Amino acid sequence: MNTEEIMNLANGIAHAWDWATETSQPRPNHLDVTVKQLKELLPIAVGLRVKRLGQLSAIVGLDLGLEANEIEVLYHFCPGEAEIVLRVRVPRQGGELPTLSEVFPIAEVFERELHEMYGIEIAGLRNTERLYLPENWPAGVYPMLKDFDPKVLSEPEGKA
Amino acid sequence: MAETNVTPKRFTIPIGPQHPALKEPGHFQFTVDGEIVTGAYVRLGYAHRGIEKAAEERNWIQNLYLLERVCGICSHVHALAYCLAVEKLANVEAPPRAQAIRVLVAELERIHSHFLWMGVSAHEAGFDTLFMYSWRDRETVMDLLEGLTGNRVNYSANQLGGVKCDVDAAQADSIRKGLEFLEERTHHYLNVISHDTSFLQRTRGIGVMTRAQAEVMGAIGPTARASNVARDLRVEAPYAAYKTFPVKVVLDERGDLEARFEVRIKELFESFRLIREILEALPEGELVARMPRRIPAGEAIMRLEAPRGEVFYYIRSGGGDKPERLKVRTPTICNLTSVVRLAVGHQLADVPMILAGIDPCFSCNDRMVQVTAADNGSEKLMTWEELRKYGIDFYRRQAK
Repeated sequence: MNTEEIMNLANGIAHAWDWATETSQPRPNHLDVTVKQLKELLPIAVGLRVKRLGQLSAIVGLDLGLEANEIEVLYHFCPGEAEIVLRVRVPRQGGELPTLSEVFPIAEVFERELHEMYGIEIAGLRNTERLYLPENWPAGVYPMLKDFDPKVLSEPEGKA
Repeated sequence: MAETNVTPKRFTIPIGPQHPALKEPGHFQFTVDGEIVTGAYVRLGYAHRGIEKAAEERNWIQNLYLLERVCGICSHVHALAYCLAVEKLANVEAPPRAQAIRVLVAELERIHSHFLWMGVSAHEAGFDTLFMYSWRDRETVMDLLEGLTGNRVNYSANQLGGVKCDVDAAQADSIRKGLEFLEERTHHYLNVISHDTSFLQRTRGIGVMTRAQAEVMGAIGPTARASNVARDLRVEAPYAAYKTFPVKVVLDERGDLEARFEVRIKELFESFRLIREILEALPEGELVARMPRRIPAGEAIMRLEAPRGEVFYYIRSGGGDKPERLKVRTPTICNLTSVVRLAVGHQLADVPMILAGIDPCFSCNDRMVQVTAADNGSEKLMTWEELRKYGIDFYRRQAK
């Protein structure tokens, strides 16, 4: 498959869910798919997988700040030269995402990282243990949030 | 029979965090039934330094030096990925000569990394002679890198918009001479790893990953190519000067450890050829393009083929002098999860070889620090200034 065929396929998948997605193609090899309904994330990802576009390269969290009070999560699928990005938004507190690890085994580590760095709950993730942060890292402190204050680590109650 | 009703007791063998398979920290737990592995568990983070968070606090130029230190082996690839991503955001393209030198250093780095890996895995196999020889030969390529950039490890060859070092005729000659020696040695090693009977007993048919498994589990780099998955970003999505100087993908269909050895060693020949080609046809011209101090707002993704597989960079700029978000995804994490699954069903004694077979690099995976103060054992976060002062004081005290 060349990049054009990949992009046509990916566009087709995004349009099949047009009531739940918004797409834009800023560059010939880059497709942004904003998924507005969370429960459609997994079916769209499965759609990519079925069409052999499911090379999940990374899951990236973006803290949009206190004002927006949301976290944007980007699922990067990179078959060949193409970049297909599924974008979803969850609230900064109590956000929850469905797991993709049943379909993409590699998603498990990305989702565990997302959970410990941003505090997003991943529904259905079998292993929710910490992957990177130390055992005595205080509960409820998520270092990649923009308002993370390293001082909480030196406070007595911050220690386990 | 009564025995069949007895549930077998699970016996867990912890490996690591110190020196699990190589001299980097990672913790593994293998449950075993006799000698056979029945389950595997990984815990990372022992070298987590918080580089992604730290990158949000530093300006575009400072980050170049920070990110070059994500990994001590493939440092150039990280700096290059960062530079290319920032250049993409700023809509600047480095001059052709700079792009060619970037590829030249990247391929020298690949040679250094593959030689290092060959030594480490030979050591895991108990073949220390090969370990010693390959590390001795690796010095040749380290010297070449030092001659070219001034540094053995963090070469600092890149700068935003281009490169810092040029290649003159004398350097080109010394590189050619070094390559001649290395190529001859590589032929010898290829012969050793594909013919030495006792070594083959440790590699042939061990840790087999089929093509379908590699695709589903998301293996990348030489590990995937040894399972016949034709994924190489230098070919799929050529960056820097790989369009002008194309490479051939080295594939193998066996998917075992022997195949992983062969693929990497055959890749060395590709690197030798490519470096010679670049030295022959190095484009003339400038080394640096002018970069703006502030990078326009936007997002950029950059994917590069590191010695271990795909490195993924995501950078988001808000238009200021610092990135808003910088994400690094290194190849080891993808290969580690797939290979840990493969360990199940193998002899425990094969596990170190299987782990070393993907060429793991833990410091790439882990990127956050928590400093434990040595004086009272209490944990505290040090600022960069404090850490710097602590370092200077420490060595001053040592010198006395």
